[in-house]
Amino acid sequence: MSAAWTPVALSRDLPRLGVMPVCVDGMDVALWRSASGRVAAWADRCPHRGMRLSHGFVRGEALSCIYHGWSYGAEGHCLRIPAHPDLAPPDAIRVPVFHATEADGVVWVAPQAPDAMPPTIEGSALRSLTVEAAVDWDAVAFSVSGPVARGTLSGVAVTILVQPLPNGRYALHALTEATASPSVLTEVSRGLEALRRQAEGVFA
Amino acid sequence: MTDPIRDEWYPVAMVSQLHREDRDTLLLGEAIHVTLRDGQPMVTASSRVLPSQARYGHVWTSLGAPARPLFDIPEADQPGRRLVDVGLVRVKCSPLRAVENFLDIAHFPFVHTDILGAEPHTEVGRYDVAIRDEVDEVWATKVQFYQPQAAKSAAGGITTEYMYRVPAPTVSVLYKTCPPRPDEWDVITLFVQPLTETLCEVWPWMALFDDTTSLTDLIHFQQTIFLQDRSILENQQPSLLPLDPGLEIPTRADLTSVAYRRWLKRRGYSYGAQLVAA
Repeated sequence: MSAAWTPVALSRDLPRLGVMPVCVDGMDVALWRSASGRVAAWADRCPHRGMRLSHGFVRGEALSCIYHGWSYGAEGHCLRIPAHPDLAPPDAIRVPVFHATEADGVVWVAPQAPDAMPPTIEGSALRSLTVEAAVDWDAVAFSVSGPVARGTLSGVAVTILVQPLPNGRYALHALTEATASPSVLTEVSRGLEALRRQAEGVFA
Repeated sequence: MTDPIRDEWYPVAMVSQLHREDRDTLLLGEAIHVTLRDGQPMVTASSRVLPSQARYGHVWTSLGAPARPLFDIPEADQPGRRLVDVGLVRVKCSPLRAVENFLDIAHFPFVHTDILGAEPHTEVGRYDVAIRDEVDEVWATKVQFYQPQAAKSAAGGITTEYMYRVPAPTVSVLYKTCPPRPDEWDVITLFVQPLTETLCEVWPWMALFDDTTSLTDLIHFQQTIFLQDRSILENQQPSLLPLDPGLEIPTRADLTSVAYRRWLKRRGYSYGAQLVAA
């Protein structure tokens, strides 16, 4: 298990009451945000019948499984089993909880408690995209430090956070200068897609 | 030597579809060909002719030598029932997970919301489960659940009573309250064809007392239900059904599933199952 932070999403793509599947160190994770805005990252599997919790729903401060509605509270412990409304769920029913933190508009997850906070990121969130191959950062004159790649696209400073996915795929989470105009942001977004086509060897 | 997997009868085609075209498909990972010859089904694997029969609207076959006859559904021959071939839903899951989901009622309010169940009516009361040794089948009886629209013929919410029966490892028969005929049970079955351990085709079939609902509406109702189930079945981990305790946590509402898993293990039925907790 790694003690490093993995960037998994841009904060604005995870609204309150939202839940999404992400991948950290090859493990499936359900990432969700409670009504009060708290972000949590859990093993993406309900202990009852193995259903993915990322298909579930958020009410208040709890995440519920879509299959039988079992709901789980902040520490991953089972709060309620709807088939048995009068039963206090045993404490042993727990979903494994990952470390999650949010800074500079980015959500980071780690299976084990890292020693340090995630790196400071400058810029405002642009978009995330998935690439089916590794990007050659040298070829596009980006400098890389850990999961952070910094460079320029369409004349604008861009920070790209790299999230490894299984089977040689990557998610890229891009941020740009906050002052860039919408038309410039469109250009940068196209630049990201060109980066993807280049990495995937698709030039059409 | 008997083989608890190959010697079973399996559904492999809908008879009515074979009048239009033959069917090339898989059974337990083996390629088979299903056709009609002089109105009778014929199933072949390579050049070998397999045992086959047409029953309950479907063709049944076996890769081995079936030791027992195909299970009986007496209601199939009862006058006045409509026999409905629903068609096929392909699901990327273990055939056993598909059967187990069919035996489950606690998911109705969450997966079949406002059709087969709705919050706050989520409680599953006590019911009886038994492995009936004399017939070697799993039976759950006295199962009750509140349903907003239990069947196409139900106008409003009712408490529906169910019986569940597993007569073969990849077959489940459901008996449920019949709104127009309180003294009878509607019969809804799930015939599951195991293509591989993690891919199956599900053939629902019904024997109903319902003279008013159109065939299209009956089929659409069941297709809606099974497509909702598919979104669950393709997202369970592991994809194989764990037969040993430890990996999943059952409650009292899951007693049918617990009995089904125990019964499978006792029969040595491991196709689509995971025997040691991972």
